[in-house]
Amino acid sequence: MTTEFQLPAETELETIDINVNVGPQHPATHGVFRMVLTVDGELVKDLDPVIGYMHRGNEKLPENCDYRQIIGYHDRTDYLAQFNTEHCFVEAVEKLGGIEVPERPQYIRVILAELNRIASHFMFLGAFGTDLGLPGTSFMYAFREREVIQDFFEEITGERMMYNYFRPGGVAWDVPENFRDRCRQVVKSVRTGIDDIDSLMMESEIVLARCRGLGTMSTEQAINWGISGPMLRATGLAHDIRRAEPYSIYDRFDFEIPTGSRGDVWDRLVVRLEETRQSLRIVEQALDGLPEGPLMAEGMKRILRIPAGEVYMRVESPRGEYGVYVISNGSDKPWRHKVRGASFVNLSPLRELSIGHYVADVILILGSIDIVLCEVDR
Amino acid sequence: MVQESTPVAAPPPTGPVFGLFQQALPGVQLDGAQTPIDTSISIRRDDFVGVMDAVKNDDRLAFDYLRCLSGVDWIDDLEVVYHLWSFRHSHGVAIKVRFPAIDAHVPTVSHLWGTANWHERETYEMYGIIFDGHPDLRPLLTEEGLGYYPLLKSQPLADIEDWQEDYLQAIEEAKAQLAAAGGPAPVLDEKALKIQNAQKKAAIMKKTRDEARAKGLSPEDEKAAVQAAIARFDEEETAARATGPAAPAAAPVDPRAAKIQLAQAKAGVIKKARDEARANGMSAEEERHFVAEALKAFSEAQGG
Repeated sequence: MTTEFQLPAETELETIDINVNVGPQHPATHGVFRMVLTVDGELVKDLDPVIGYMHRGNEKLPENCDYRQIIGYHDRTDYLAQFNTEHCFVEAVEKLGGIEVPERPQYIRVILAELNRIASHFMFLGAFGTDLGLPGTSFMYAFREREVIQDFFEEITGERMMYNYFRPGGVAWDVPENFRDRCRQVVKSVRTGIDDIDSLMMESEIVLARCRGLGTMSTEQAINWGISGPMLRATGLAHDIRRAEPYSIYDRFDFEIPTGSRGDVWDRLVVRLEETRQSLRIVEQALDGLPEGPLMAEGMKRILRIPAGEVYMRVESPRGEYGVYVISNGSDKPWRHKVRGASFVNLSPLRELSIGHYVADVILILGSIDIVLCEVDR
Repeated sequence: MVQESTPVAAPPPTGPVFGLFQQALPGVQLDGAQTPIDTSISIRRDDFVGVMDAVKNDDRLAFDYLRCLSGVDWIDDLEVVYHLWSFRHSHGVAIKVRFPAIDAHVPTVSHLWGTANWHERETYEMYGIIFDGHPDLRPLLTEEGLGYYPLLKSQPLADIEDWQEDYLQAIEEAKAQLAAAGGPAPVLDEKALKIQNAQKKAAIMKKTRDEARAKGLSPEDEKAAVQAAIARFDEEETAARATGPAAPAAAPVDPRAAKIQLAQAKAGVIKKARDEARANGMSAEEERHFVAEALKAFSEAQGG
């Protein structure tokens, strides 16, 4: 329950609205994001989000790059879900070029992408705990297991964050020999971590009191605002691109789509936590099915020329719908390379969600969107 | 398999969505095409408002979700592409509207899909496409008053920076000097001299070797001849350098250095005045005044 303050009647106090600047360098804004708040006491009357501090031309630069050079830009677009974003781009190139990907790389991609989803949600849960006022504690538990996943990725790709491992037609090189055993270890360790966070955050009365009924949105509003991913599912709509428009081999796996009921901050938290469990299920199924075989499609040229055409490829990234719109004119570089960032769209209704809430709760609403500013600004 | 050539074969049949559009919008010119995932439909700008309204509100179409809005630059034309999805019917489509680049206007759709607000702001700042009727068409990602539209193909990837321009200009001037017959040889720095020397040496080696071969010398003799020629060249070079005008030109006046010097002088004046004031036991107010006076006197002396 939120504490009820007995405010003096408005006639007793003369107040004026003041502007408060939050960010761009502020830990609660999860990156270089700035909000200009108009507050009446502690109540937010208006909010103007200011973005663009991280704009690096991630749509312009790839128009001057070879198709394989672009993969690295997708690592840097959403730096918490690198495999998911790479997956989107290589799928787009494969769809456009009619490239048949062998089974083994498909399975490897799914395993890595799902583990990446868990790592990203761990990052969210840790950072959200800090927003809530659990500094350190949630971070420690969430990052303990996130680090396990990152070490695992480093063993495979040689990189801690910017993996650059997927290629149009397959993956760059094979996974290590002990991949299955190591992966099962990681799954086991991550499962413990999920349970720890579950009992730490979900059974805390403070978390419940602060998050229940905060930043509510209805399904209709969410659809109108273009919301996707866990935020959309928190409103009760079981829409997941892995299920609605299956890409890669996602139609082979058995998993549930967790949904919320009220679309508030609490539901977003629960949906994300539950998604990590579902991702583990997918990883285990994919590990069981991982076949031997070639790692790259046949007939891949050193210089990749894609037939003229266009495709809007979308995948379910941890933050929602990550899309790449590629137009090829038949050369080795794309004519147009548009990135649809999930958190860019999810951030856009922040003003509508925040008005009428207390400043401390606005930080929670912002945290619950789970933005990655590199993806917002591109 | 990747196709080597790029011709597009006969367009594949369009999906069932295209049929729905034809039913819902009779008499409207629709050009359907099939992409690997979605059906794309090009419409004319004159029909735009009516078509978009039907796309959202017609029960057969009911595209309630605008997933992506992209601008595309086709040099002479600009294009806006709307990727839509219907949760009710689980189908997707891409609507395209194309217009000449000199008349970059298209009606807004932000009243139909709230998400279009930010997408349109972004497309406006990146392509200069005006979305008529948009409630708040400010730049979103770039600063205000940027002065150009970054994603247009006419916009080069990066401008040459100021200092690079100076540098390029200096190179051009040096070349012009070199070209001017009879003009003084350009002053070369250490590295350039080395390169020049190496080039001269290579030329001498080649010349000597060719001569030796023409004379029909044995490989050993040829080698010896080349070595002798290089030794001779080295000696000449060292002699020339010892006698040559080695005095470097006076260092050019760097405006920044002058500024730094001035600032240092000013700091000296301030320090001196302050020390003096303190020695005389002035109050803080008087001290500030005294320092200001001293600075003023200094600037006048500089100006005079």
